[in-house]
Amino acid sequence: MGECMPQKLLIIEDNEEVLISLYNYFIAKGFDVTSASNGLDALKLLESEQENFDLIITDLIMPSVSGVGIIAIVKKKSPHTPIIAITGWGEHPEALAKEARADIVLEKPVELADLESLVNELLSLSKDQQKK
Amino acid sequence: MANMNKKETAKGGKGPQPLIGISRNILKIKDLVSHIADTGLNILVSGETGVGKEVVAQNLYFGSNRKNKPFLKVNCAALPEGLLESELYGHERGAFTGAERKKRGKFELAHGGVLFLDEIGDMSLPLQSKLLHVLQSGVFSPLGSEKELRADTWVIAATNHNLEEEIFEKKFREDLYYRLNTIKIHIDPLRERKEDIPLLIDYYLNQYELRYPSKKIIRPSQSIIRELIAYPWPGNVRELQNVLKRILVTDSWEEVLQGLPKLHQIGNNRVVPSPSTVITPDRPGPEQFATLLDGIFSHLEKESQDFSSFSLKDIKRKAVDRVEREVISYVLHKTNWNRTKASKILQISYKTLLYKISDLSIKPPQRASQNLF
Repeated sequence: MGECMPQKLLIIEDNEEVLISLYNYFIAKGFDVTSASNGLDALKLLESEQENFDLIITDLIMPSVSGVGIIAIVKKKSPHTPIIAITGWGEHPEALAKEARADIVLEKPVELADLESLVNELLSLSKDQQKK
Repeated sequence: MANMNKKETAKGGKGPQPLIGISRNILKIKDLVSHIADTGLNILVSGETGVGKEVVAQNLYFGSNRKNKPFLKVNCAALPEGLLESELYGHERGAFTGAERKKRGKFELAHGGVLFLDEIGDMSLPLQSKLLHVLQSGVFSPLGSEKELRADTWVIAATNHNLEEEIFEKKFREDLYYRLNTIKIHIDPLRERKEDIPLLIDYYLNQYELRYPSKKIIRPSQSIIRELIAYPWPGNVRELQNVLKRILVTDSWEEVLQGLPKLHQIGNNRVVPSPSTVITPDRPGPEQFATLLDGIFSHLEKESQDFSSFSLKDIKRKAVDRVEREVISYVLHKTNWNRTKASKILQISYKTLLYKISDLSIKPPQRASQNLF
């Protein structure tokens, strides 16, 4: 991080408490964070041309458009955008998230500091890829 | 919205029946459909019988880039297991007794287009496994064939079951559920979005006018519309459509209202609930049975003016329905609407109980007195 523009994160989570804590944490760490409380709102943000996210963190189990749906849609459009999926619900959506090419699938509870280091790791990886 | 009568709809051409309504639920569905129709992701449409699940599927199809390809429908509840398997995946000649000719399955025929799997909750566990495999791998084999076929078929499934509950009872595969449920669209029952009723009335009457141009259709007055809004519509949009069709024959809205099922007889612009619409807090007392008999005799008196539709069988069915309603309501109340427990007490299957709750329009207590007006 540091020298250039802050990295743009999109965080999608239908549990308001979790969303707020993720949002506050990453804002405090200097990220440019956009949040969505459901899959459909996230989809609309992703469709709007102005928004170009460096990384996406999404919950898997959400009403209407699930995290698996979001991952599939994003990876079809921009396969290099890194995605971290978070689930609290056993293995089936987890397997589907991997199939939809989520970069990392985490099971709740997740330590914020661990999540942050994974975010930084993926971001530097994707930077390296872009340079190539 | 309502289900189209067509079993299968052929390629594109004319548009779908529109999604009609101004309720939050319908507006959200329209919004969802416009954003996800082109993703080709598996979609599960849920809602009670008659809410219009197929109309949503049609709107998805017409909003996608597959609209000029086939849209095929299979009702998973309408066919026994073996036939359903052959309907979906096809069979070779001689694959089973009676398979005199080779038949292509709907998965293959819908290649490039949409396969609408209605009543997915009624599919047997072995067929659920096979469907899961097909969705995972994209390949399938017709019955009696060793070769594997690949089809690019967009699956939209629909159900009126609570699949989460069925997963818990091991009647529905959890992995299949998550695979189908990548995107979920739930349509509320009509009684929970009464603001859509006037628009639906208007839409269908306009449709009938177009279909029967020589017929002058009398428009309902505001008070009739209020009565139609107050009715709880257990059969949802499909029931509303059927009731509206009666105006073509009777030319009298009063008569149309009188034709609504007795259990929800309307008077003074409001629903008059039958004793059991308000969930009985305790064991049904003698007054409830007196009401039951009253109901039967008033039915007899009414029918005696015109014996054309008088039938003991019909009276028996109505009486049995009312008794079943009382008993099921009572047991549901006692079990706090735990339907699994209630079905065990009643010694009927969970599925039968759900069917009866819907068929007999038994409502949970908080909904019993729901009335917008």
